[in-house]
Amino acid sequence: MAREFQRGHKARISDLTAGTDLYVGVQISGPGLSFDISCFGLDADERLSDDRYFVFYNQPKSPEESLQLLGAQAGDTESFRVTLDRIPPQIKKLSFTATIDGPGQMSQIAPGYIRIVAGGEEVARYPFSGSEFSTERAVMLGDFYLKDVWRFAAVGQGFDGGLDALLRNFGGEVAEEETPAPAAQQPQAGSAPGFAPPAFGVPATPEPAQAPAAPPPPAPAPQVHAAQTIVAPVNTPPGGSPVPPPAPAPAPYGQPGQQPPPYGQAPGRTAPPPPGYGQPQAPQNPPPPPGYGQPTPPPGHGRQPPFGQAGQPAPHGAPQGAPQGAAQNPGVAAALQKFRETPTGQRWTQQNKKLVRVDLGIGGQPVLARQGSMVLYQGKVDFSYKGAGFAGRIVGNATGQEMQLMRCTGQGQVFLAENSTMLHPIELQGDAVCVSADNVLAFDESLTYEVRRIEGHGIPGGALFTMQFQGTGTIVVKTHGTPVVLPVTPTTFADCNAVVAWSAAAQVVVSSQVRMRRNSYPGDTGESVNLQFRGAPGNFIVVQPYEV
Amino acid sequence: MTQQLAGHAPAPVTARMENHGNHMLKVAMQTGNDLFARVGSMVAYEGFVQYEPNPPAVRQIAKDWLTGEGAPLMKCSGDGLLYLADYGANVVVINLDGDGISVNATNLLAFDAHLTWGVERVKGLAKFAGQGLWNTRISGQGWVALTSRGKPIVVDCGGGEDETYVDPDALVAWSPNLKVKGKRSFRAQSLIGRGSGEAYQMAFSGQGIVVVQPSEDSTDRLRFRG
Repeated sequence: MAREFQRGHKARISDLTAGTDLYVGVQISGPGLSFDISCFGLDADERLSDDRYFVFYNQPKSPEESLQLLGAQAGDTESFRVTLDRIPPQIKKLSFTATIDGPGQMSQIAPGYIRIVAGGEEVARYPFSGSEFSTERAVMLGDFYLKDVWRFAAVGQGFDGGLDALLRNFGGEVAEEETPAPAAQQPQAGSAPGFAPPAFGVPATPEPAQAPAAPPPPAPAPQVHAAQTIVAPVNTPPGGSPVPPPAPAPAPYGQPGQQPPPYGQAPGRTAPPPPGYGQPQAPQNPPPPPGYGQPTPPPGHGRQPPFGQAGQPAPHGAPQGAPQGAAQNPGVAAALQKFRETPTGQRWTQQNKKLVRVDLGIGGQPVLARQGSMVLYQGKVDFSYKGAGFAGRIVGNATGQEMQLMRCTGQGQVFLAENSTMLHPIELQGDAVCVSADNVLAFDESLTYEVRRIEGHGIPGGALFTMQFQGTGTIVVKTHGTPVVLPVTPTTFADCNAVVAWSAAAQVVVSSQVRMRRNSYPGDTGESVNLQFRGAPGNFIVVQPYEV
Repeated sequence: MTQQLAGHAPAPVTARMENHGNHMLKVAMQTGNDLFARVGSMVAYEGFVQYEPNPPAVRQIAKDWLTGEGAPLMKCSGDGLLYLADYGANVVVINLDGDGISVNATNLLAFDAHLTWGVERVKGLAKFAGQGLWNTRISGQGWVALTSRGKPIVVDCGGGEDETYVDPDALVAWSPNLKVKGKRSFRAQSLIGRGSGEAYQMAFSGQGIVVVQPSEDSTDRLRFRG
């Protein structure tokens, strides 16, 4: 289960995975921007004392191959293979950085991430987006550092000066003899043609002010995940490549040969607006000529390979010459490859955002799931009715916190989903979480649950009820749409209809402030009851963009 | 405004069928290479495309489909770009390249007209509730587009002893060489209103894949439009 990091979070690698052969993927993109993603192997003084451990497109691996650059794959813009136990002792820290090649600044980037995959399973992910940055041209995304054991830190620190500044920051005290061979190795540089080898001989500024202290300072970032309870809202299986946000290079349809996307806000680039978006002065898009089947390809189809106009009857649907560049290999298996089942190994595995798999053979205990939520199973699994008991029925009826459950027992894997709602496995380790009964999809039978009452005046019906789950095990919560996980602060409010779950240690208070306001105005704001959450740092609430 | 919307402009055509985003299908149409699509699935087109709902040839093959009132298919012909969607369902594009696939009737969005196809009744599943009764087997050289409510999952049947059981409401497609049978899992107590909610499943065995959607909502939205 992937742990989601926030800026400043740190964790021991051994807590994330037992493996030492790691895949580190970085996805970063932005309209009109291209990036150089590199890895610096630093010594105890945070210096790049040996430039052979600067792994980038011109130097795809370190001498003993403990660091390797793998290139773009599986939805990642760039990826590395890091073999921790082969890293030589003088290297104490690996810093993964992304630099903009060409004009642009970090505030323009689309949401991206750095993630760690071990054994085919994504174990950690630090998402970031352009809103966290401003005019920076480089960013240190994350570090692996050796402090007793190898650890990972989500850094997210921007640098104004780009790759030069980064190199200087790491003390590019490398003499000129090691200047990486230019042009000869250029094939690696597919993404950055014409990018000169970085200035290796830059004056070694000793200890620049910006040098990050070994472990980045404990950030004030909300320590949502510092608690044992782990919420893993995003867990994209490594195979299933997440769709890159708004395609960075949609060359306007019908403008052949226009490779660099004109949409980037890159200064100095005045590209013609894409046709179809209605700038009056777009003369390069003549109205489609009558008669689409004319020998001259109509503008709408300019980039197409000769599509049936070669006189061939085109017996197959597969267009001749296509698909070039499309990630589509022929065959059913290839087309469906990205939807493959992720490898097994854990009791609860999230297949994609909307589907979760439980392996009943691991752990050996039954699972209680909402009736009808099974979509597929393999193996010998038995589904039986799970009653709430007489008392439970009465309580359930009275409070509305009723769950129609079934018990899944046996050996095998069960896939659970419901109405394409998003699923979020929450792992409880002795702690408790409150979830509205409507939002529970499944949970381990080892968890105990009870209906809890939230008191407060002014709530229609006198009180609100919720389900509290406690114990050790996993509960799968479903939400309509991508939820927001908020850390509990002194001023955290939520609509009682939209709140899905909260950690039980947070104290819930019905907010009367908002009610007062509602009463003093003639119109109803529609926000009838708000809940305020109070609690020690470490608590969280989950809110869905959908009001029941 | 242009800046924000620009990212959604169509990408250049590279294949007969392509995804535009996750939920829309883009087909490059050309004369002589017709397409069968679900009635009502067209959301936009560019160029000269004509639609013929329920052509006689289709009616013949698919006369038993669903209610027996003819297939909810239309034949699209012409030149241009055709955009299809089904109420925001995910679209999966497959280049068959000689393979075959068996698709649940409600999950079929479009396919090339020259492919070999036929509607068949799933054997051993008589009196099956709702749907899953009729499926379309498609094979040949060409392209097929399926819909799935939510991102689908592909499971290998493995061919071992264990069969793979699927909720028929969540089933999207499967390899035609798999053996299918129905499985009832209710017991006596289910009959008195205490069922587990999983009354019957379809059991697959053999070598091949099964595609499943993360939703059990199998209502056929497009049929109400046609």
